[in-house]
Amino acid sequence: MMDNIYLPQVGRIAGIEEETQGARAIKTFKVEFPNGDGFEHACGQCAMLSIFGRGESMISIASSPLVKDYKQFSIMKMGRVTTAFHDAQVGDLIGIRGPYGNHFPMADWKGKDLVFIGGGVGLAPIWPVIQTAVAQSSHYGKITVFYGARTSRDIMYKADFERLRGLADVQLSVDAPEQGWQGYTGFVPANLMDKAPSPDNAIAITCGPPIMIKFVIQNLQKLGFADEQIYTTIENKMKCGIGKCGRCNVGKDYVCVKGPVYSWAELKTLPQEY
Amino acid sequence: MEKILSKEKLREWVGKLDGCEVHAPAFADSVWNYAPVQTGGDIDLSHTNTVGSVKAFAFPQREVFFRFEQAKGGAPVLTATVPEPRPTVVFGVRPCDGRGMPRNDKVFSAEFKDPYYWARREKLTLVGLACNEPHSPNCFCQSVGGSPHSEEGLDVLMTDLGDRYHVKAITPKGAEAMERAGDAFNEAGAADQAEVERVHAESRQQPQRPIGDLAAIPEAIKQNFDSPVWAEMAQHCIGCGICTFLCPTCHCFDINDEATGANKGERVRTWDNCQFPDFTMHTSGHNPRHDLGARLRQRVSHKFLYFVENHKTQQCTGCGRCISECPVGIDIVAVLERVGQS
Ligand SMILES: Cc1cc2nc3c(=O)[nH]c(=O)nc-3n(C[C@H](O)[C@H](O)[C@H](O)COP(=O)(O)OP(=O)(O)OC[C@H]3O[C@@H](n4cnc5c(N)ncnc54)[C@H](O)[C@@H]3O)c2cc1C
Ligand code: FES
Repeated sequence: MMDNIYLPQVGRIAGIEEETQGARAIKTFKVEFPNGDGFEHACGQCAMLSIFGRGESMISIASSPLVKDYKQFSIMKMGRVTTAFHDAQVGDLIGIRGPYGNHFPMADWKGKDLVFIGGGVGLAPIWPVIQTAVAQSSHYGKITVFYGARTSRDIMYKADFERLRGLADVQLSVDAPEQGWQGYTGFVPANLMDKAPSPDNAIAITCGPPIMIKFVIQNLQKLGFADEQIYTTIENKMKCGIGKCGRCNVGKDYVCVKGPVYSWAELKTLPQEY
Repeated sequence: MEKILSKEKLREWVGKLDGCEVHAPAFADSVWNYAPVQTGGDIDLSHTNTVGSVKAFAFPQREVFFRFEQAKGGAPVLTATVPEPRPTVVFGVRPCDGRGMPRNDKVFSAEFKDPYYWARREKLTLVGLACNEPHSPNCFCQSVGGSPHSEEGLDVLMTDLGDRYHVKAITPKGAEAMERAGDAFNEAGAADQAEVERVHAESRQQPQRPIGDLAAIPEAIKQNFDSPVWAEMAQHCIGCGICTFLCPTCHCFDINDEATGANKGERVRTWDNCQFPDFTMHTSGHNPRHDLGARLRQRVSHKFLYFVENHKTQQCTGCGRCISECPVGIDIVAVLERVGQS
């Protein structure tokens, strides 16, 4: 019998962490595979998560492939499915199928400096890359992580960031002045210019709101990063995740299969349909 | 295998297909559409073309993927509903629809094989009928590399020779369907062969809509990505979606959960449509194809640029349905012509 590509596995919500609050709150879910099956993934890949009766949503796998016991997902409360996730409890059983999409070419980055630039919920797709890089830090040069949020309360993975400080150069920012804030005040692209990481033998990986990505890329170019040295991910509405339902294309590429990871050199050749 | 079947014997052939589901065009509510043929029933192959395309036999408008049942906090019970259809023989398939199927096969294969599509597809035998005359003034099969007697995608090709049909098996599946009624057929003689060739040659001379240089279209579309032509040509579009629903190669779909009771329901695939505004609209409200022009550009580019880049062939077989049935007169041939000139 052919594998049924639409039939999800059963996942169990093993932990829920509240990351940020407000209208578009974010929660991070640890998902285990109680039936023992599961799947391997690479950094940057996604999975279709579902709450039966509500539907499916494509979500980046936010944990490193080195973590085998569970997979982690950070979900922003948006509509039907994501709200159902925000209403879910530890122990709830959900649907999960994947992994989908391409991945960051980390094998090509051996010996290079890695500069990560994230904003808001846009940390999730690059978080597994950061985690994997610091766990295998001997493979890479210097690791720098820029991350900005609207306010200090909107910073994701707060506890993990504390641990990360010892392993990488962490540069946090908040958009507006705040009492007691020790990091940079201002937008992420400005913080990037302020610290001006060197493009020599380096790769920059950025993810966040489209407007942030736009200015980050402009600034990276000013710093001397070539288009081939810049990586990002893109998002389009998805239903199938496997290049059949026809909605997520940018030009000839279905983002669910050929993306979501692109170098800027590749992305700038595609039509602006994302 | 090439045979002759007198018209009175068509019924005998159909009668020998026991165990199979048989479908043929039927005229009802002033249109032709495929309908099941009762055992021993008559079939009438005097149709122009069916309004709906043959794709629905492998890719129905609604397909249940699985049923689920889950009490609050409990374990979900999932029951996959991959179909197990009887062998199905479809008569009267026009060559444009026949050519649609191998294109759909590509989509539902690739890295991920679609079990629902293939469960139906593998049981499907397509008996085509050559078009001695174009079935509509919007036919353009020859302009997109096909022909009124194309065998591509068909298992059998029948050609109407007045009082009899010339019947040619294209695939082993087609030969098998013919062998079921071996007695009903006669050998095709030299005169029959000559007659088929004459009829086919004549059919190729019938008027069709020209679209110019097919090979130049992908580049023309690329050059015109930001052209105002799309918005101009799409301005009357009401987003009804009939162009894609009737298309033999449009395959876009939606997936939704539908409740069937308390704590239970079905995950369902339904046809979707790139001309609908919410097809690509993110939950945030951002929509990469936010206007009619962008959506028309997508429909045309998918068929004449992206599919060509990915699969080396057009995703259009020239049936003309999207032109004939569009309530506001949007005409893909005219769009290609405009884009080619811009
Ligand atoms: C590659 C990729 C990675 C993503 N990673 C994350 C992540 O890590 N965390 C996160 O919170 N969100 C992520 N998203 C966005 C997330 O998929 C949507 O916010 C979510 O599907 C909205 O679903 P809903 O049911 O809550 O909204 P509704 O509007 O009620 O649902 C509509 C349906 O449309 C589809 N849909 C709507 N908007 C989007 C969108 N922007 N992207 C994809 N499908 C959409 C979904 O199938 C959804 O079920 C990602 C999207 C993509 C494409
Ligand atoms: S999500 Fe269906 S084609 Fe990409």
